[in-house]
Amino acid sequence: MGADRAGVRGTAWGWPVIRIGNASGFYGDRLSAMREQLEGGHLDVLTGDYLAELTMLILGRDRMKDASLGYAKTFLRQMEDCLALALDRGVKIVVNAGGLNPEGLARKLSELNPAGLAGKIGYVTGDDLKERFPEALTANAYLGAWEIADCLNLGAQVVVTGRVTDASLVVGPAAAHFGWARDDWDRLAGATVAGHVLECGTQATGGNYSFFTEIDATRPGFPIAEIDEDGSAVITKHDGTGGAVTIDTVTAQLLYEIGAPEYLGPDVTTHFDTVRLQEHERGVRISGTKGSPPPDTLKVCLNTLGGFRNATTFVLTGLDVEAKAGLVEKQLQQAIGDEGLTWTLARTDQPDADTEEQASALLHVTIKTKDPKRAKGFSRAAIELALASYPGFHVTAPPADGTPFGVYKAAYVNRDEVSAKAVLL
Amino acid sequence: MKRPLGTIAGARSGDKGGDANLGVWVRTDAAYEWLNRFLTTEKLKELLPEANEVSRYELKNLRALNFVLHGLLGDGVASSTRFDPQAKALGEWLRSREVEIPEELL
Repeated sequence: MGADRAGVRGTAWGWPVIRIGNASGFYGDRLSAMREQLEGGHLDVLTGDYLAELTMLILGRDRMKDASLGYAKTFLRQMEDCLALALDRGVKIVVNAGGLNPEGLARKLSELNPAGLAGKIGYVTGDDLKERFPEALTANAYLGAWEIADCLNLGAQVVVTGRVTDASLVVGPAAAHFGWARDDWDRLAGATVAGHVLECGTQATGGNYSFFTEIDATRPGFPIAEIDEDGSAVITKHDGTGGAVTIDTVTAQLLYEIGAPEYLGPDVTTHFDTVRLQEHERGVRISGTKGSPPPDTLKVCLNTLGGFRNATTFVLTGLDVEAKAGLVEKQLQQAIGDEGLTWTLARTDQPDADTEEQASALLHVTIKTKDPKRAKGFSRAAIELALASYPGFHVTAPPADGTPFGVYKAAYVNRDEVSAKAVLL
Repeated sequence: MKRPLGTIAGARSGDKGGDANLGVWVRTDAAYEWLNRFLTTEKLKELLPEANEVSRYELKNLRALNFVLHGLLGDGVASSTRFDPQAKALGEWLRSREVEIPEELL
């Protein structure tokens, strides 16, 4: 460990920087990333983001089927593989994989029962506001960093949360490590920027990157932030991993899913127009970030069941593409009615093409309806046209039975309506 | 000179509920000066005719502009019937649009 640490400088106060890695940018990300990050070099903390707006809906449906579920199951598999390794290396794990059921995930982890873990699994609770929003399938306030910091200060080696802001997974450990105060706005803002860079995993290290032809983007390594006492940070990755950390790859991720430059969070308002990026021997240094007090309200992620949807894609090849589309549209409308149908004709066809695929246009149709029977009937109606429609009729894949779909909405509640809590198991 | 915007600009896009966000950045101060003058809200709508209400923000320190395309994704990713319901490739679409770029920036 000593050798790995060489070159990581301390601060003016003599505090070492805290080295925080990320091993997941979404529910479904590279399963081996946890092991890669633990084995690739020194880390103090390893974080993972498993929750998107859509994921909350998926977990909500899991929970409807089985109340003991509602967390990210892939994280449990990663811990079966890597928990002992993390403990052995002294790396703390901080993830939002608890989803709708952080306590349930914490109990599952304690069943893994590696030596010495008793009393060292922390979870954060209090984000679930379903009682306040009974019409929603899921209703979760975006909590912040302080309950994560509380868990770590109580001695947790593993912290699982439900809905916290993605950046909190990084801000919490940094705040606990340096003993930051709740009004250390600039420090909290600096760590929030580092957290924002890390939260989507390899999107910071050359994944999904416009100038991918300039780097080796075959298998980008997962990102690491070395955070200083003043909240500034160096973004880097383990030696020998793929991808790149450059001003451009970091800029790309800074621009992901932001709105106005005043980036509102539960702990601090971060001013993205104050962020400075500089090249650094190990990657990119982020400094200068200004923070100010957060809003009085917390954002709530609401998912409601919107109804049922189904879709298919008709392939229209060769001549008379518009007329072929017109015929099948009229036929499907006659069979099941026009309500809730959305049609899109993609003119991917080229005239006089020398492959069949290049001679073909795609007609997408989606149905959204409150009635599950109608969503299912859509499939039958579409397939019954197979010998009775335009010449060359075929579809890219036959439609299935239809699936429920969610509608996402944001709501806002006063802080005193939410009681977030750190619990040690 | 008429060239794809992506010759000199990078982009990243994504979803926030029913809105899409689209960040565009360039790699030199001179290119940013041009981009900031060139890529107005009106120009963006012209290049991406599917956009309706658009907010535009300047991030000079990152040599970047950030656009929020309100309502592009309807009620959000799970509900959207758009071809790209999470707006993941919106930025790459913009980069492929051909625009008049000053020769000294190429």
